[in-house]
Amino acid sequence: MRITKCLPPAFFLAVLLLVLGEVGARLFFAKSVSGRFEYGYSLNAGFDECPDGTVKLIRAGGRRFHPQSFKKHRPPGTFRVFVIGDSVPRGPSFKGGYPWLLGQELRERDIQAESVNMALPGYGAQRCQVVLRKALEFEPSLIILHVNDSNKYEDEREYRRSQEFKSWHPRNWPMKVFIFRRLYEAKMEKVFWRLVPEQVRLKFAVNDPDAQVAASEDANEVKARMKVARETTAASVALAQAHHVPLLLVTQCRLLTDGTRSFHFEDHGLDDLGRSLTGQGVYHLSMKEVFSPLPHARSYFSDSGHLKRSGHLLLAQAIIGKIRQAHQRLGLTAFNIELQSKSY
Amino acid sequence: MSFITWQYLLFLPLVLVLYWQLPGRGRLVLLLVASYFFYACWDVRFLALVLATTIIDYLCALSIDGKKMGTVWVLLLALLPGVWLSGCSLFLPASGINWLIVAAAVAMGLAFFAGHEVIWHLAPEKRRRAYLILSIGFCLSILGFFKYFGFFLDSAHNLLTFMGLQPNRVLLQIILPVGISFYTFQSLGYVIDVYRGQSPACASLLTFATYDAFFPQMVSGPIERGRHLIPQLERTQVFSPDYLQDGICLILVGFFKKVFVADNCAILANYAFAPGTPLNGYWAVLGVMAFAFQIYGDFSGYTDIARGSAKLLGIDLAENFRFPYFSRNPSEFWGRWHISLSTWFRDYLYIPLGGNRGAKWETIRNLGVTMLLAGLWHGANWVFVLWGAYHGVLLILYRVAPALRFLGDEKSSSLGRGILAVALMWILTLAGWAIFRSANVHQLGLWLAALGHWQAGISLPWASSALWLLIHIAPLLLLQILTWKYRDETSLGHLPWPARGLIYTLMLLLIVSSTEHDTEFIYFQF
Repeated sequence: MRITKCLPPAFFLAVLLLVLGEVGARLFFAKSVSGRFEYGYSLNAGFDECPDGTVKLIRAGGRRFHPQSFKKHRPPGTFRVFVIGDSVPRGPSFKGGYPWLLGQELRERDIQAESVNMALPGYGAQRCQVVLRKALEFEPSLIILHVNDSNKYEDEREYRRSQEFKSWHPRNWPMKVFIFRRLYEAKMEKVFWRLVPEQVRLKFAVNDPDAQVAASEDANEVKARMKVARETTAASVALAQAHHVPLLLVTQCRLLTDGTRSFHFEDHGLDDLGRSLTGQGVYHLSMKEVFSPLPHARSYFSDSGHLKRSGHLLLAQAIIGKIRQAHQRLGLTAFNIELQSKSY
Repeated sequence: MSFITWQYLLFLPLVLVLYWQLPGRGRLVLLLVASYFFYACWDVRFLALVLATTIIDYLCALSIDGKKMGTVWVLLLALLPGVWLSGCSLFLPASGINWLIVAAAVAMGLAFFAGHEVIWHLAPEKRRRAYLILSIGFCLSILGFFKYFGFFLDSAHNLLTFMGLQPNRVLLQIILPVGISFYTFQSLGYVIDVYRGQSPACASLLTFATYDAFFPQMVSGPIERGRHLIPQLERTQVFSPDYLQDGICLILVGFFKKVFVADNCAILANYAFAPGTPLNGYWAVLGVMAFAFQIYGDFSGYTDIARGSAKLLGIDLAENFRFPYFSRNPSEFWGRWHISLSTWFRDYLYIPLGGNRGAKWETIRNLGVTMLLAGLWHGANWVFVLWGAYHGVLLILYRVAPALRFLGDEKSSSLGRGILAVALMWILTLAGWAIFRSANVHQLGLWLAALGHWQAGISLPWASSALWLLIHIAPLLLLQILTWKYRDETSLGHLPWPARGLIYTLMLLLIVSSTEHDTEFIYFQF
């Protein structure tokens, strides 16, 4: 018996609507879909290389770049900085993050600079390395790699997903449908995380990000992710050195409070890591060293790790200081403007 | 193998394709093999219990009907569970089956064989009764041992300790076989029907074994009657497109209830009833409401998938839920909730006890005993007994106190009174679920205490979680409103096909938006 005789029109309509939705999404939003199921491990996702030589950073393949554009080949005389990292350098907004503020500060010092924010929320050392590989194709003058250790779990989860999606396994079939996957992710991020209190989610770690947060308190977990961050960052440094691109490692610190007015900074050993990797063309800036001497350091942080705009500005100026120290080695022959005092 | 796994979504189409290609007898063989495989995916060892129940009830029912199998065949069949276990011990060393367990199974088989042979020589009427007792005795012994032995041992220990004695604690780790209460009750119901002459004994072991282990309903019901399912299995089905349409629709609705409604409500219910959770009145109410929809979505969703799977094979399974949360009184609730179990208790316990035919106190006694045992059926825990007792009290009050009839009966025509009755019954049902969901009596006490504290600071803010709950129950309520008029929770056939198409699409999208919270069906543990 023919299947068309067995199934009523309602089923056909349902199937048709879903097929149309999927085909439409893949046709009309092809760029957004590309690299979607590689979960950050796609080299090209989010980089739209136009025929006119412009590279556009777009939200695609799960990469939520701030929309920006630059020329594939660095214009002569331009000091090009790419900032790679996680939600910390990405900033509270595009113009509130230190990559943008750094560009502003450089331009105020008469340097023809373009500073591109390539930071992505939730990206750990492994996926940052994938972004670094792509960024090296665009002739940077300096790459700032913001080193954090808190996204190892997410890196691993996304790597696992990217591998699973390559497999034939039937459990992946529904989620290979773009509209299904997108709906699932949208519900998770826009509804579940917003409506269900964190304590409820963490109690049972009902999904991977919650399990990540729960695991972040575990000492062994902290140790394990430090090891991965260390090894992967060392490999990223070697990669930049192989391409003769200067690299500035900005190491993250966390602000810890005991519930009262007192607080201290914890770097999980990232500062030691940054110092140990310093060498030919590799520089290091410690966030802990930037903020801990300040009497009201706490006021620069919006939570334990993320900065307010004032904090980003302070960090941008500290980076300027580092660039100033190494300006000749970075090819900046004229770096003649002293740091200005600013009120934060 | 659970319905909500990818394995089942491959298993079912494979069975369907083969089923409709095979001739009549071959279909039964396929269904039996598929059913045993389905069950063995959980635990291959416990197939011995399924075999034991099947063999005991098949032979007893046959003998009750005056047909006896040859002695050698009876002996061989009685030894089959022991043979299965020895096979497990030989080929699956990690199964933990040792010679002691095999010897116990063989001894039990021999005891049954001896009993069966001795009884045959009794006078016909005594013989019929003796076979019934043999069947009930063996099946309830198996159920009692695996489900309640540890519970009664523990309770006896606690009682003796309470009385100031110091008994030695005997610890016995017994794994609860999945679905044991369901298939035992189904099988027992069949034997009682044969004894009463309401159903003929099934002559074919193949048909009866398939009836006993039919994979769509084996582990969580509906508890089928032999006279309803066996004739369908014996009949050579001719494929009809209606099977496909109805089956897919039922499965889709089932997945929607389980994956979208139940699993998302479970997040809040699990938090509210977790040990150590600080509760105020808002969270106590929110938690129990979430559980009410979790257990309904979970169990009725399972039933819909079971009915849908069977429908694809051309077999109708009994309806198990009919808008239970729209009930207007306790009696109506039990006519709408887990219908196959409540009718089982009605037909095989309540009515034989005398039902409502005797004096008022006898009716009260019969209702009380029936509901206590119905509560205990759900699990070896005092909260289930308490839950049964609670519903028993509600039923008794409703029956014996005419003043309480204001709750409304089905004939009541006033809309306002009907809504009030539904609301009151809903609150009473929620109180019952609080008993059911509590891990123990102490936790139930904490839940009740929380109802006295409505300060915001005690617990988490509740409003956003309430919105989460509403998001997940609103589509379910909408579906129920659409189908209410047709007295079938899954009946969408009356809608125009474009509307149905949109509903199917929407349901599918809602299902896939919730796929990562997969949890097991609650009723598997019963």
